[in-house]
Amino acid sequence: MPKTVIEKIIQSHTHDEVAPGKIVWMDLDIRSARDFGGPNVVKNYGREYGDEPVEDKTKTFFTFDLCVPACSLKYAENQQVCRDFSGKQGIKVFDVDQGIGSHVLIEEGLASAGTTVVGTDSHLNILGAVDCFGQGMGDVDITFAFKTGKTWFEVPETLRVDITGKSPPETTAKDLTLYILKQLGTKKAALKAVEFFGEGVRDLSLAGRITLCSMVTEMAGIIGFIPEAMPDSEYANSVSIDVSGLTPQIAAPSSPENVFAVSELKDTEIDSGFIGSCTNGRTEDFAAAARILKEHKVKEGVMLKVVPATRRVYRELLDQGILETLFSCGAIISNPGCGGCAEGHIGLTGEGEVQISTGNRNFAGKQGRGKTYLASPEVVAASCLAGRIIRPEDL
Amino acid sequence: MSKGKVWKYGDDVNTDVIFPGKYTYSVLDPAEMAKHALEDLDPEFAHKVKPGDIVVAGKNFGCGSSREQAATCLKFAGVQAVIAKSFARIFFRNAINQGLPVVQCSEAVDNVESGEKISIDFAAGQIKGEKGIFTFAPLPEFILRILDSGGLIPYIKKKKIEREKNLGDKNA
Repeated sequence: MPKTVIEKIIQSHTHDEVAPGKIVWMDLDIRSARDFGGPNVVKNYGREYGDEPVEDKTKTFFTFDLCVPACSLKYAENQQVCRDFSGKQGIKVFDVDQGIGSHVLIEEGLASAGTTVVGTDSHLNILGAVDCFGQGMGDVDITFAFKTGKTWFEVPETLRVDITGKSPPETTAKDLTLYILKQLGTKKAALKAVEFFGEGVRDLSLAGRITLCSMVTEMAGIIGFIPEAMPDSEYANSVSIDVSGLTPQIAAPSSPENVFAVSELKDTEIDSGFIGSCTNGRTEDFAAAARILKEHKVKEGVMLKVVPATRRVYRELLDQGILETLFSCGAIISNPGCGGCAEGHIGLTGEGEVQISTGNRNFAGKQGRGKTYLASPEVVAASCLAGRIIRPEDL
Repeated sequence: MSKGKVWKYGDDVNTDVIFPGKYTYSVLDPAEMAKHALEDLDPEFAHKVKPGDIVVAGKNFGCGSSREQAATCLKFAGVQAVIAKSFARIFFRNAINQGLPVVQCSEAVDNVESGEKISIDFAAGQIKGEKGIFTFAPLPEFILRILDSGGLIPYIKKKKIEREKNLGDKNA
């Protein structure tokens, strides 16, 4: 029986025989740390390995994306700790100007089909969108990966998800993703790799694939893939989800799986909107929002925050006139990075504030004391014009 | 294994409520981290937890951000072990790497209550509570060895020293 996608990738990086449930030692093509986690990795490294060199400096990176440029002394000092270590070790830093690490790794071709990448970002499994094994890990695991180029990993079972039917044209990759999350919850895909099949996912662009794969984390899954070939492997389970009646979806506070049709929550008043994140921070996400915002104004009193995923995305938004549209409608446009997702730079909410975001998590406290709803760039844009939650078609 | 008092919580306890993001940027010492354990879920926990207490929760414990402090703060708060119906993978690894035992046992979760004193026998795979004895599959040998060594890095170092010693013995 042919192996599943994750089994194939792991097998090409280990001498151990790969099977679901087995713990294997695997080689890592890339290991990275962010400005979050990074300083602890440096501290651990110094304590455990002193001045010894990392296993391969050409495969080791820092990606600063959380609080960029630093907005407080502690953030600045933490980033400087990583820069000092990188200078001594000869490691490249994708610094505060570059944007979200996982996206930078894709753009730079460092994360590509069949490769293995780990880092301190819990959404690094986004790399499944380019058929790459990406995994977020804690500081000790990454310290060890810096020193050895290896990690231990329990080969997960694989869940097959068949997406049937064709989703209506007014729906987006985010609607599809939230709907799948609603169906799978945090149990069906828990601790499994997921392979998505069907026309509805195969036709997704890279940005759409990134949206779907990023939220496999919220499904409690290990990683998601969208294979080109037909399913021919042995799967632990399979689930079929019909998306032919899909409508715009939204996750209400305080859990990403708390998903409703936008129409069920319509007219909920909002104070702010956020477009960006590793889930919806690509050029086409902003282009979609811009189509709705063009020649309109964000409702008075509503704050719309826009954060491109990477510097390359920012350049494309400039070149295509999208930033002009967003600026003219009243949006606040920031430099690339994670923005408000990680209680970072742009977009903390105050007590009582209601935010609608294109991000991937809305846990209590995640973006401050306010309440956060999760939706597509289109729904966020429309809601910022109306000052309340609304479907674009109902504007 | 000594008895520990149960602190019981629900499903999907995420790392933001275990260790709030606002503290993650300060590289805190362990005692300081312990003061913020579970702050946004149960503000009483950090004040009242005693060494040897046991956190019990539903499915997907430790989901969300990869922050290692979520495991570290519980360990340094004196928590003996976390029992849950299931764990999010990153938290599970972090706990093992920090030497914090994690036990998967749905039956125990359904049958113990907050405040109850229970004990865990890791080798036998048994949890003793007021309502009975609940069994769980012990962790894989490889993970138990990491846990016994105090985490991943000490485990590999220990293995290396043993290997060199064996080599030395052979050469002698």
